[in-house]
Amino acid sequence: MSRILSKSLLLLLFTVVAACGIYPAVVWAIAHLFFPFQAEGSLLKGPDGQVVGSRLIAQPFTKDEYFQPRPSAAGYDASASASSTLAASNYALRDRVARMLGPIVKYRSGPKVGQLVAPDVESWFQQDRYQGQPGIVAQWAALHPNLATVWVNADPVHAAYVDTWAKNHAAVVSDWIKSNPATPQPKAADLAVAFFQSFSKENPGRFPSAVTRTAPGGKPETSIEPVKDGSDIQSIFFDMWRQDHFNADLQEVPGDMLTTSGAGLDPNITLQNAEFQLDRVASKWAADTKGNEAKIRKEIDQLLQANARAPFGGLAGEKLVNVLEVNLALRNRYSAPN
Amino acid sequence: MWILPISMLVLTTLLAIPLSRYMSRIMDGTYRVPRFLRWLEDRLDCGPQSWKQYTLSLLVFNTVLFVFGFVVLAVQPWMPLNPQHKGMLAPSTIFHTVISFMTNTDVQHYAGDVHFSNFSQIFFGFTMFFLSASIGFCALTMMIRALRGGPTVGNFFVDMWRVVAYMFLPACLLLAVLFVQQGSPMTFKSFHEVHTLEPAAMGTLDNGQPKPQTIVVGPLAAFVPMKQLGTNGGGFYGMNSAHPFENPTGFTNFLSCVAMMLFPFGLVLMFGRMLNRLSHAWLIFGVMMFFMIGTVVWAIYFDTLKPNPGLTAHPVARTYQIPDPSAPGGKRMVTLPAVAGLPVDQHLGNLEGKELRFGTSAGATFAALTVDVTDGAVNCEHDSLNPLAGLSPYAGMWLNCFFGGKGVGMINMLLFVVVGIFIAGQMVGRTPEYLGKKIGGREMKLAMIALLVHPIMILMPTGIFAGTNWGLKAESNPGAHGFSQILYQFSSSSANNGSAFDGLGVTYGFNNNPNPAPTAVDWDIASALVILVSRFLPIVAPMAMAAFLGAKKSSPFGLGTLRDDTPTFALLLVGTIAIIGALLFLPVAALGPLAEHWGPLPFGG
Repeated sequence: MSRILSKSLLLLLFTVVAACGIYPAVVWAIAHLFFPFQAEGSLLKGPDGQVVGSRLIAQPFTKDEYFQPRPSAAGYDASASASSTLAASNYALRDRVARMLGPIVKYRSGPKVGQLVAPDVESWFQQDRYQGQPGIVAQWAALHPNLATVWVNADPVHAAYVDTWAKNHAAVVSDWIKSNPATPQPKAADLAVAFFQSFSKENPGRFPSAVTRTAPGGKPETSIEPVKDGSDIQSIFFDMWRQDHFNADLQEVPGDMLTTSGAGLDPNITLQNAEFQLDRVASKWAADTKGNEAKIRKEIDQLLQANARAPFGGLAGEKLVNVLEVNLALRNRYSAPN
Repeated sequence: MWILPISMLVLTTLLAIPLSRYMSRIMDGTYRVPRFLRWLEDRLDCGPQSWKQYTLSLLVFNTVLFVFGFVVLAVQPWMPLNPQHKGMLAPSTIFHTVISFMTNTDVQHYAGDVHFSNFSQIFFGFTMFFLSASIGFCALTMMIRALRGGPTVGNFFVDMWRVVAYMFLPACLLLAVLFVQQGSPMTFKSFHEVHTLEPAAMGTLDNGQPKPQTIVVGPLAAFVPMKQLGTNGGGFYGMNSAHPFENPTGFTNFLSCVAMMLFPFGLVLMFGRMLNRLSHAWLIFGVMMFFMIGTVVWAIYFDTLKPNPGLTAHPVARTYQIPDPSAPGGKRMVTLPAVAGLPVDQHLGNLEGKELRFGTSAGATFAALTVDVTDGAVNCEHDSLNPLAGLSPYAGMWLNCFFGGKGVGMINMLLFVVVGIFIAGQMVGRTPEYLGKKIGGREMKLAMIALLVHPIMILMPTGIFAGTNWGLKAESNPGAHGFSQILYQFSSSSANNGSAFDGLGVTYGFNNNPNPAPTAVDWDIASALVILVSRFLPIVAPMAMAAFLGAKKSSPFGLGTLRDDTPTFALLLVGTIAIIGALLFLPVAALGPLAEHWGPLPFGG
């Protein structure tokens, strides 16, 4: 037995020396001798010589002048990779996609071909009828209580708004407590559905949204107010609008633009996705540089085509574009966006 | 679409043929090495062992490995290579992680990029990767020697060292160079802070400065080859081989797949070579390949060739009559309304949780292969696979013999072979024989113990967790998929696989984490126990079975002997596996993935 134990320790020692010492040291030496760029993480330098990121790791871009990477469940945090883990059956997945679609989808045919659907979503919302019943917001909260709760928890300002409402609507709150005796002191999140139903009754065709106004002192102030249009309406209620407009013929948006990747750090988008964004990018750069839009569009398109690569030379996938490399090329060519 | 999986399977098969020749030469000891290496072997050698001594050595060595692993992880805060001052993981998580890695399972209840320093990645990860893979390898080798007959079965420690030094290390070195060339970092630094091209795109810090992007790096190029070659599958990063540093290009993805299949393929042929029954081994190889191709085709068909059903239209409303004691007549009508589709171009299949750079069908292919060979690395989010496509990884884990892990998959297949022969023997009324040895009651008992541990260890804890807050508080998706998440975790644990439906709340994190997942400790302990039982019983019982069989007299080959290299035998084996698998697991499949597919989609609010 002691023989077995001593041999066990010896085997462990040999393996630790070989596998944790010699092996990584040899690989490290080869890597730094022949592939120093890759060995340190493929870091790219910006126009001022500073490192701006890794060509293999996605980073966020918010400005319209830049191509945008795929959405990230990790918030582009390269120290904590994550996927959405949303099942196909989970409504949260459909909701996330629908919210991204609302502001960008266009009609594919019919009298409004090529126009955004967003204005129609807003005017339908203001009519305040879904599936023939009044009260879109009330129905939304009843159908999707989780989303209503998420809205309340998303921002302390939202919760405060619900608290104020609760103070002014003691009767509704006490009704709620009567039907939920297990929660005698409900928090804002518990009351989410009741809040939206009461809100919908009092503000038909409105949704509580953040509005920024310039206060008398010149400082911008943000508060929650009932609004009838804007990005919240366009995104949150796009899916319900879609259910009410079953036969509307809409342009399809590239799938990779709407789905999160496995690690949340996918550095690529499909060429199709990049070309979908090309109009926006080109017109923004044209405005920034006061150049000819058609010429800039052509330049950028050439840049995309030159940078597009398919895995295995096209045998196993579609043409892809590296977002950081392309955006870096744009930055170098047109200087900083306004 | 299909070129990718076909080329992977063909290339690996071609590589496995010469490799198996090399492997059997090494394990038979008929090789010459420099004097220095011979000296190391002599230090480990304590003479030929009986099967009991060999098994005891295996168990003692695992105990040593457990203590070593626990200590390495526990001392993380005080060790070098930790510039971010990562603390100690929760003790239950350390317990689970050590059990998980030393058994080649690598289910991870932590995220490597968040919770491990490079010290832990190297000294815990590399050690476990090399050794846990070798243990199954040696168990199979011992069984082969036992089946040959004879009083001794070789020396465990010499066998282990042969596998580590003459097989894994050279192969790793070669792959590591390819990985670093393709873009995997190889550095002992822990992270880079970079200022993004668009200033403040990551947001701003409290002091108004733009927030940098923190990019975690490490010795990836050395880490990944052994992760795959040893079918370990434990990720350096939380998202494993989906992470761009862990799998930078389509080519590394291809290499990863070949690497994880290489030794499982080779071991089947090694079995044939060492027993001088190569045609029988090729038949087993064919049966395994048949199932493996099935799982790959299934996954690609339902995930790459079909859109994500959560986004598409379901144009016809469906009405069902369901039993409801409170309704008049005891029945109630439920209507699922028609759903309009979202305008999404899904010609590349379900892209949620997929990376683009590997190729179109690479996510589904990898998902099937990684469970078939019990690797457990993932290059896409299995939680987000289409519901029916998810059945493919389940099948791989439940049956656990479509090549399977290092040695263990072949051992599982031997159990099915023995059971199949036994059933066939019962049908024709003859004493069943395998390799000329009569299969008696004792051998059958051992085979059945080893075979039944697996379903019991999946179904029992799944039932308990699905019915209590242990499971209900950990689910992150509603309805049938929530059940699937629990089922997957225990399937993966019991199959010693390591992939996961990542949404399940099983992460405690650092010991001082104020907000751990509510039932993380319960999951750590339950999963670790399942892993332990499902690892060692199905290794030790077949080792005993092989020893008992090997000790019997060989009966001469007669007219009535069931030949083990004919199509009839292949059919018998396929039927045994399919029927046993379906009987055991169809009910849970119906509750999980099948219910999700045919139930309301989307589901829940």
